[in-house]
Amino acid sequence: MLRISLLLSACLAGVVQAQEVPRTSSGKPDLQGIWQVNGSVGYDLEAHVARHDMPPGLGIVAEGAIPYLPAALAQKQSNFTERAALDPLNRCWLPGTPRVMLLDSPFEIFQTDTELALTFEWQQVYRVIYTNGEASLYEGIESWMGHSRGQWEGDTLVVTVKDFNDRSWLDAAGNHHSAGLQLDERYQMVDADTINYEVTLTDPAVYSKPWTIRAELQRQPGKPRILENQCQAEKEEANGDFERVDFSWYPAPVPADNMPFNAAASNPPPLPAVGADIRRLPNGKPDLSGYFMTDAGGANYGLEDTPGGFLMPDARGVVKDPADGQLPYQAWARAERIERELPHRGYDDPTAHCFVAGIPRSLYVPSPFHIVQTDNNLVFLHERMAWRLVALNRTQHLPDNIRLWQGDSIGRWQGDTLVVETRNFNGKGWHNEVGDIMSHMQTMVETFTPVSADKVIYRATVSDPIPYTQPWTIELPLDRMADELLEVACMEDNNDLQHLKDVRDEYRAQQGSN
Amino acid sequence: MKKTVCHLLLCACSLLAARGVLAHHSFSAEYDNEKPITLSGKVTEMKWSNPHGWIYMDVTGDDGKVTNWALETSAANGLIRRGWRKEDLPAGTVLQVEGWQARNGSSTGNIRSVTLSDGRRLFAGTSNQGAQEEK
Repeated sequence: MLRISLLLSACLAGVVQAQEVPRTSSGKPDLQGIWQVNGSVGYDLEAHVARHDMPPGLGIVAEGAIPYLPAALAQKQSNFTERAALDPLNRCWLPGTPRVMLLDSPFEIFQTDTELALTFEWQQVYRVIYTNGEASLYEGIESWMGHSRGQWEGDTLVVTVKDFNDRSWLDAAGNHHSAGLQLDERYQMVDADTINYEVTLTDPAVYSKPWTIRAELQRQPGKPRILENQCQAEKEEANGDFERVDFSWYPAPVPADNMPFNAAASNPPPLPAVGADIRRLPNGKPDLSGYFMTDAGGANYGLEDTPGGFLMPDARGVVKDPADGQLPYQAWARAERIERELPHRGYDDPTAHCFVAGIPRSLYVPSPFHIVQTDNNLVFLHERMAWRLVALNRTQHLPDNIRLWQGDSIGRWQGDTLVVETRNFNGKGWHNEVGDIMSHMQTMVETFTPVSADKVIYRATVSDPIPYTQPWTIELPLDRMADELLEVACMEDNNDLQHLKDVRDEYRAQQGSN
Repeated sequence: MKKTVCHLLLCACSLLAARGVLAHHSFSAEYDNEKPITLSGKVTEMKWSNPHGWIYMDVTGDDGKVTNWALETSAANGLIRRGWRKEDLPAGTVLQVEGWQARNGSSTGNIRSVTLSDGRRLFAGTSNQGAQEEK
């Protein structure tokens, strides 16, 4: 009798829960929103007392302890002892999965019928969970975050994650896995503000049997968006390895020869016509989702028409306004821009340090990107592991004292063209490898005009009164392709930076001895 | 069969976008135009890494001394899209490479051309348009 009533209660509870969770237009639980794991569970998955570098915890391993094979247990113990030096997260490397889900840091979920994007505040890491029923084009290619394929089993999202490398840890205590790890994740929304998150880890080279962790993801109310936590950039700026320019945020001195900035001089050519055969979403808006490669014309090596040189490609010139194709630099800024081409300045380019490339540079670095589009947002996932949000459901930018590498972008539809306004830049970026200049006063209006089923014309009009005399506009075609993103884990294997530092330091030593 | 077709399509896309998918990060600042190198040797390791891949290769000099060179390639994601896989370049593979030495004079180079002993060519970065089109 007791059993029957328990069953009945469980069934009723299920019905109640099913009614309470938000749902997408196709009837699936709507997981969208900003989330964070409940409690500081990511330091050590197993039960532990407090340590100098982590709070105590009861653990989230369902079996109580991780069923390590003997050699793997010894490895874990060694990792634990050496964790300050060895933890990949201390070096700002990619956290891997499931660790990224368990950080003391929020993330946002964007959901369509064919994919989910999970974007994390920490280091602008993202995951894509494809729910289109298709296998990965790159099965077997190792990655930090794994390849995720999901399907709905009733109201539970079930995701298989595999193709890992063996370099990430599961937590800060040195719990580990091999490249043979497979995750089976289950996301079950129990009410509008709670997702039960369960992961079974299978890795026969490391564990004697599969084991499971269970955690609770909680909705984070009251946040207009998640921010940026560029771990490596903050670390290098703090220890002096990266020196930001004096016209980055805040407040920048206005250069002595600053000329009046003539905002009214902006005169870009008319927008191209929208194509008749463009793709559309069910809501009637143009569908900009998918994998894109920019026909960048070497913009990463010069926005102006610039002949290539040794190991530098040609740049065809993408400036549409001013009409002469030249960026309207003030004299001091042009001098700085020319100086930045010299070998000893290569170290100063933030992307040489693997910091996020920023806007609009992320659109023309030599890497593809993938757009996930919902009714309320577009999220750009850049292959060089960074995401950028364009909010369609906000009208207010972040407060002026919140400055980001990529700024804060708000979009709106103007007919069938997406118009995006961005401000709140920190001004620390370079527009490309030759160092076209931005400051913290930069603001930007971008347009995305679909001209055919698979081509979008992209424009960016940049207004920046510190280095320039008037706004300028670049234009680039974006081509949709049948491909998917690979993972680019930049700083994890970045051997270039030390060479660039050697070149800079040698130059500085010569200058000092002259 | 399906996978083969996919790979062919991907290769076609990669060729179309060949100029775009290469990375040249600050190579001109790191490497010396006046120090061209041509090296033959055996692979000791290849790191299929991003933002750039690295081939480590033992090269025997005229004096019989063996030097392990670190040779920078374009990004691994570009090689993968061209259909290359880790298994194609195991330790012991004999290679001939051309490129430029680092400005700091170390046994480090940026390589534009990689030829396997069977004549296959592994694309390996640089601004040389001809080299970019090679596989």
